[in-house]
Amino acid sequence: MALTITCPVCGKRNGYEFRYGGEDKGPRPAEEGLTPRSWCDYAHMNACVAGVQKEWWCHKNGCGAWFAIHRNTLTNLEVDGPEVTS
Amino acid sequence: MLRGFKPLWGKKPGLRSSYDAVIIGGGLHSLATAYYLAKEQGMRDVAVLEKRFIGFGGAGRNTAIVRANQRTQENVPLYKEALDLWPVLTRELDYNLMFNNCGNLNLMHSEAAMNAARMNVCTAQFHGIESHLLDARQVKEIEPTINISPDITYPVHGAMFHPPGGVVRHDAVVWGLAKGAARHGVHIHQQTEATAIQSDGARITGVDTSRGRIRTPRVLVSAGGYSAGIINKMLGLKLPISVLTIQAMVTQPLKPVLNHVVSSGMYHAYANQTLKGEIATGAHMDPWPNYTTLTTAHYIKHQAEALSEFLPFLRGVKFMRHWAGLADMTPDMAPIIDGNDPLEGFYMNCGWGYFGFKSCTATGRHMAAFMAKGECPERLKPFGLRRYEKHRLMGETAALVTYTPDN
Repeated sequence: MALTITCPVCGKRNGYEFRYGGEDKGPRPAEEGLTPRSWCDYAHMNACVAGVQKEWWCHKNGCGAWFAIHRNTLTNLEVDGPEVTS
Repeated sequence: MLRGFKPLWGKKPGLRSSYDAVIIGGGLHSLATAYYLAKEQGMRDVAVLEKRFIGFGGAGRNTAIVRANQRTQENVPLYKEALDLWPVLTRELDYNLMFNNCGNLNLMHSEAAMNAARMNVCTAQFHGIESHLLDARQVKEIEPTINISPDITYPVHGAMFHPPGGVVRHDAVVWGLAKGAARHGVHIHQQTEATAIQSDGARITGVDTSRGRIRTPRVLVSAGGYSAGIINKMLGLKLPISVLTIQAMVTQPLKPVLNHVVSSGMYHAYANQTLKGEIATGAHMDPWPNYTTLTTAHYIKHQAEALSEFLPFLRGVKFMRHWAGLADMTPDMAPIIDGNDPLEGFYMNCGWGYFGFKSCTATGRHMAAFMAKGECPERLKPFGLRRYEKHRLMGETAALVTYTPDN
């Protein structure tokens, strides 16, 4: 299914205007006390969730803004927030 | 007509309460590992757990191309072994895998690309694999349908020609390996979902399934695009993998017209003619992770535009069928094969991206030795997970078609 993404500046646009920026992994780890292992975790490791994940996008062919959204990787649809698990 | 019909892999086996080894996933890497565990390592109690049916995933969705002209010295020998195994397995399994070694023709569209191809060719030749460069005129001689005129978007400068590659019927490999594995006593459990992996904190103790608990000292996760999600969910181990949907399609059948597997990195498309006459073509990946396995109008348009430029005989030919599968991409375009880390008896074989089909047999064979002996064979050592924290990423992204998880 075609993906649409809501840019905070430009509104809902075709997904191909955007560049995927990776899973949201929280803030960049501090330089102090950084080990190769913890940097590797931040740089490379993914949860590969089949379901809703929070992720970064850049409106590459648009305003250039970086922002995070929630998206369901099983349906390719943008959703309002994290999956509610009962 | 179907009287007396039974699957090649025998009657549905009952689920035992314990096995020597359990393999999660019923695709080609799993079936090959199970086959070689039983046949060459003498392990008789092996279970393959498949949530849906064998060959449902990447095994039945790839475009069946095989070749051994990758970039790095760690990868190339593994693919060569796999390429050499097709005729051997056809005999061994007593099942026609329909290996058609028509050769791969990889088009280059600039002098810089020709230089990159020259390095690839040198690597192949160093490892004793036939591969050489052709100029545009030579390309036209062996593949007359290719458009070498200068007035297309990316004119053809030449090609990397790899004669021993070609196409193998992927479903036949699934059925042949399943037949062979079952004959050696492997239990293939379809419609059986693994739900949890059990450990005592140091070693693997069992696997929970939708049909009950199994005790086992060894478990291999080899479930193609689903592996990374499974490993994270069941063991909390994150992998450097992005799972992308990759799309493919076939045209209506035509009389024999295309002699080779023709591919182009610039046009980002490859095409070959199947034995049924269809032109099977693909390459597009969704540029964001998803598990939809759906095709998109965006890609169909791209493919039509690309093919009608470098293979102009396809103008006006209709696409008949399209489909998609999953590719689990790593940052260095090389797989993750590891074992006994962080748990004794836990093995994984994933991150193949879109190279899983062409590598399945040789990898399964080495993986079987790994699981039976507990020691990683030399051939698989470069693919350990810890290469990422050591920043020892492989150079496969320098191969000619550069498509990484970050696009």
